[in-house]
Amino acid sequence: MSLKRAILLIMLGGAVVPAIGQQIELPGTGDSTNKTARPKVDETALRYFASQGDTRRLEAEIARLRALYPDWSPPDDLFGPQTDVELQRMWKLYAEGKYSDVRSAIATRQAADPSWKAPPDLLARLTEAENRRQLVNASDAEQWATVLRLATDAPGLLTCTNVDILWRVAEAFVKTEQTPRALDAYTYVLTNCNDPGERLATVQKAMPLLTDEQIENLLKLERKDEAGKPEFAALRDDLIRRRMGHAAENPEYTVPDEDIKRMEALARQSTTPGDPLLLGWYLFRHDEATRALEWFKLALDRKGGPKSAEGYVLALNFLGRSLEAEPIAFEWRDSAPENNKAYLDVVIALLTADPPPVLDEIVLSRFSPVVMRDKYVPGAQALGWYAYNTGQIVTSQSWFDTALNWDPNDEPSAYGLSLTYWRLGDIARLNAMVQSWGPRSERIVALVDPVVRARLEARNAQTTTQIDPHIDPLGAAAARLTPVPSLMPPPIGTPPMGLRSGAGQFAQIPTAGQFQPIPQAGTAPLAYRGAPYQAQNPLATGQFQPLPGATAQPYAGAQPYAGAQPSYAAADYVPAPRRRPVARSVARTGSTVETAAAGGGGGGAAVARGWRMMDLDRPMEAVRAFDQAIAAGGRAAEDAAYGKSLAYLRMGMTNKAQAAALEAPQNPRRAVQLSGDLLAQRALAAYKDQRYVETIIALDERSRIAPEQQDLMVLRAWAYYQIRDIRSAQRIFRALQAQGNSEGANGMAAIDALTRKYRT
Amino acid sequence: MIRRVLAGFLLLVCGALPVSAQPSTLIPTEAWSAFMQRFVDASGRVVDTANGGISHSEGQGYGMLLAYLAGDRSNFERIWSFTRTELLIRDDGLAAWRWDPNSTPHVTDVNAASDGDLLIAYALARAGAAWNQQSYIEAARRSARAVGRKLLVTDGNRLVLLPGVSGFSSSDRPDGPILNLSYWIFETFPVMAQLAPEFKWADAANAGLELLSIAQLGPARLPPDWISAPASKPVTVAEGFPPVFGYNSLRISLYLLRAGIENTALQEPFRRSWLIEGGGTPAVVDIPTGRVLARLTDPGYRMLASVLACALNATPIPEDLRRFEPTLYYPSTLYLLGWALVAERYPRCL
Repeated sequence: MSLKRAILLIMLGGAVVPAIGQQIELPGTGDSTNKTARPKVDETALRYFASQGDTRRLEAEIARLRALYPDWSPPDDLFGPQTDVELQRMWKLYAEGKYSDVRSAIATRQAADPSWKAPPDLLARLTEAENRRQLVNASDAEQWATVLRLATDAPGLLTCTNVDILWRVAEAFVKTEQTPRALDAYTYVLTNCNDPGERLATVQKAMPLLTDEQIENLLKLERKDEAGKPEFAALRDDLIRRRMGHAAENPEYTVPDEDIKRMEALARQSTTPGDPLLLGWYLFRHDEATRALEWFKLALDRKGGPKSAEGYVLALNFLGRSLEAEPIAFEWRDSAPENNKAYLDVVIALLTADPPPVLDEIVLSRFSPVVMRDKYVPGAQALGWYAYNTGQIVTSQSWFDTALNWDPNDEPSAYGLSLTYWRLGDIARLNAMVQSWGPRSERIVALVDPVVRARLEARNAQTTTQIDPHIDPLGAAAARLTPVPSLMPPPIGTPPMGLRSGAGQFAQIPTAGQFQPIPQAGTAPLAYRGAPYQAQNPLATGQFQPLPGATAQPYAGAQPYAGAQPSYAAADYVPAPRRRPVARSVARTGSTVETAAAGGGGGGAAVARGWRMMDLDRPMEAVRAFDQAIAAGGRAAEDAAYGKSLAYLRMGMTNKAQAAALEAPQNPRRAVQLSGDLLAQRALAAYKDQRYVETIIALDERSRIAPEQQDLMVLRAWAYYQIRDIRSAQRIFRALQAQGNSEGANGMAAIDALTRKYRT
Repeated sequence: MIRRVLAGFLLLVCGALPVSAQPSTLIPTEAWSAFMQRFVDASGRVVDTANGGISHSEGQGYGMLLAYLAGDRSNFERIWSFTRTELLIRDDGLAAWRWDPNSTPHVTDVNAASDGDLLIAYALARAGAAWNQQSYIEAARRSARAVGRKLLVTDGNRLVLLPGVSGFSSSDRPDGPILNLSYWIFETFPVMAQLAPEFKWADAANAGLELLSIAQLGPARLPPDWISAPASKPVTVAEGFPPVFGYNSLRISLYLLRAGIENTALQEPFRRSWLIEGGGTPAVVDIPTGRVLARLTDPGYRMLASVLACALNATPIPEDLRRFEPTLYYPSTLYLLGWALVAERYPRCL
């Protein structure tokens, strides 16, 4: 023991006070003078413990004194009567840890009896005990120099009986950049101390402070337990966790595959979220989002809290499953700043996706307030792009306008706003934007200047670098809308479809007769009576607009009807029930007409059955068939989701139609068609609810992505009539009349009646 | 005036550390016992009963000083043991200022407060000299050096005593240094000068007196608890602190008297507020308006006014203040410090 102490003393002394080894006399080091003269041994503590019957302390004290004084042996009268009662009391207080009371008692006695001196052993042990307390306090307060000073002053503390103190001293060494000395301290414990629990704890204490390599060196001091098992086996898993945690934080590091395997086994074994979460982050940061997702999910199921939710959301988002991620992201958004960020990222990814997905109203209605509250410019911008890409130019305009209000120097918002002016033909405002942004934004200038446009296009063609939508979804969204050389308006997120073919091949669900608006309020078109239309549809209403008055923007200027529109001039427009070419569908699913018609259990067969039911105008049954196909998965699922969506549309169930459209990813062309159908449906429902302005807005939005056929023109004309925009109504009715549409004449008559009434 | 102050200071320096003076009679035994019983626990912790039972370096310093003034070596040891093991843990040798019984670890703010360190060092030095305890003197010297090194700072032409190590200096705040004139415990400065002569304690004391004469702000011309004193700019109420003459500054009058600084100009605002307007009751005063926010009727606070009346006019201590009744830690402490002063220097008032 004394040798060990000596080693540690030298070690400490070297660190703090180089001369410490000489200052402190080390007992029992073989100094011959000690052997000749019998040392004067302070036995008061011994006698106190004996009088108390405290055999444990008594034995410890005997062992201590023997170590200090090899020639010493316990006195014979150890259990005899005690003479100094006051001193006994002091030892009692000491044993109880009441050091202030001992100090006080000593002072009291000295004041009363100046000749009395406290036993040196009592003073030494009292000082040591106080130092130990002080050292712990200093260590808790991270006062490392104090820790080392106290350890130097009281080297008696540094033994296996005070392993906690050794740990604290080692930590102080690490914190004062004397790691080799910390290693010495840990090595001392693992070489000399025998308590298995403390040995294990020593390595655990060292782990956060030392490198992997240093820990490996300490592990060489591992012993085998009684059963022959290595004592630190359990720690090796912790080391894997630690390696993996480090590599998860720093993706440039990786861990060996066996580490991952081991962690996966541990994660499955346990019921806590820690290991799955760690695996999730490691895999996610090492481009294995699919595997990561599984572990994040498990962590979340095990109540892993905000970090699990964050990982789960990020992984879903990364995998393009933002729509799934959104509700979870929303639920956790207030738990931590990272969760809020994840939520915003997910919604922005959704809003800027190409092609734009049909979003549930709830997604938009809960995102908008967050954006408004935080004046979050990227959020407003993303809403702007979403509105733009779904043909809601007026809505888009107010979001870009809002974003620009919050950050007047944000070029992408200015560009978005300029685009909407361009789309709406608002030349005056567009020119004003060009005026103020000209020097700062080439692409804004390009909107009005063909030369700049050509130059920009040429340069874009050269740069092959694509903006990664994972990293900069907003930038990618804006870049998709960089001006093209032709003077056509820029694409609105998806390739514009051919007017004729689009109208002919995918004629709209509502037939002309079905939604013919009736001037009298309350008499809804027969086909839609009782249809569960929910008014909160974000695509049509102004509810996700930032400004209360935004919907009231002048729709009249949006798309003037004066110019003849090829779509509604088309004589061959057939407002018939939707009929989808079965052959094409089957061809895409890879099966034949025959097998499909046979009604087999395969996805392709179910799709074919669905279309047949649609042909027979039995949409409810079609939905069931399409559901089967969706469940079968594969390519057929895409067709089936589309079909199901159309089936719901036919029944006037817009929201269900939207939901169905999302059951399988749709190709851009279909997405546009569905959006058009949905907007038509919404216009109709709005009309039915006497929300005529919204009717016109929905129609305006729809007209951006699909031509307006006669039935919708009728609807539009009646909507103008209802809001007493007689001139607009008259213009359309007149055009309809010219095409031989009977509603044209009806409308003109109604206007005549109305104006007469006003004249009289 | 400054010259007179300086002369007084030099006088003090020479007369400090009265080795032979046995002050055991300055605080009556029964009063001290009552204080011990009410505010000091067995571990030697001085409990601030008005602040959730926390302790602080200032309280420990007061406790040690009072134990010395009561001649109680035993409890001095008790309080010192706690102070040393629980608070004297900072690497720079200063005491951590705040200790909370309901937190683990108990030290909830490791920052230092200069008045606490001054009190601890001062009590140790006087007790060490009186009771011939070299270990006290050594500990006092360590604290005095730490204060000199970390808290005495030259700012412009002044050597100021910062209230704490971080957050107050002119480099920490644009309106710094932020100072608390009640942290200048003037009686300690000559003793500090003996303990740590390498620092210019007399200059620091004089800076405190100079600031005190400048910081007579507002209609009442009382010194605010916390001032902003940038070099070569006017002294103002410190931003972010209540603009009051409050529980901090009311000690200043007593500290001046205890240090033997008989400067009537500095005492005048106290006299006016406490004796003339308050009829012997101090008050918390709003600096901008001079309005009284609260009259402080606790015997400990009224004792401050009585001590001032005694020192200025030899007015006897009123009958109802002659018996010590512990109330709260802080006014009770001030009461005993006031009593000890009267007993030592103005026995005619008793």
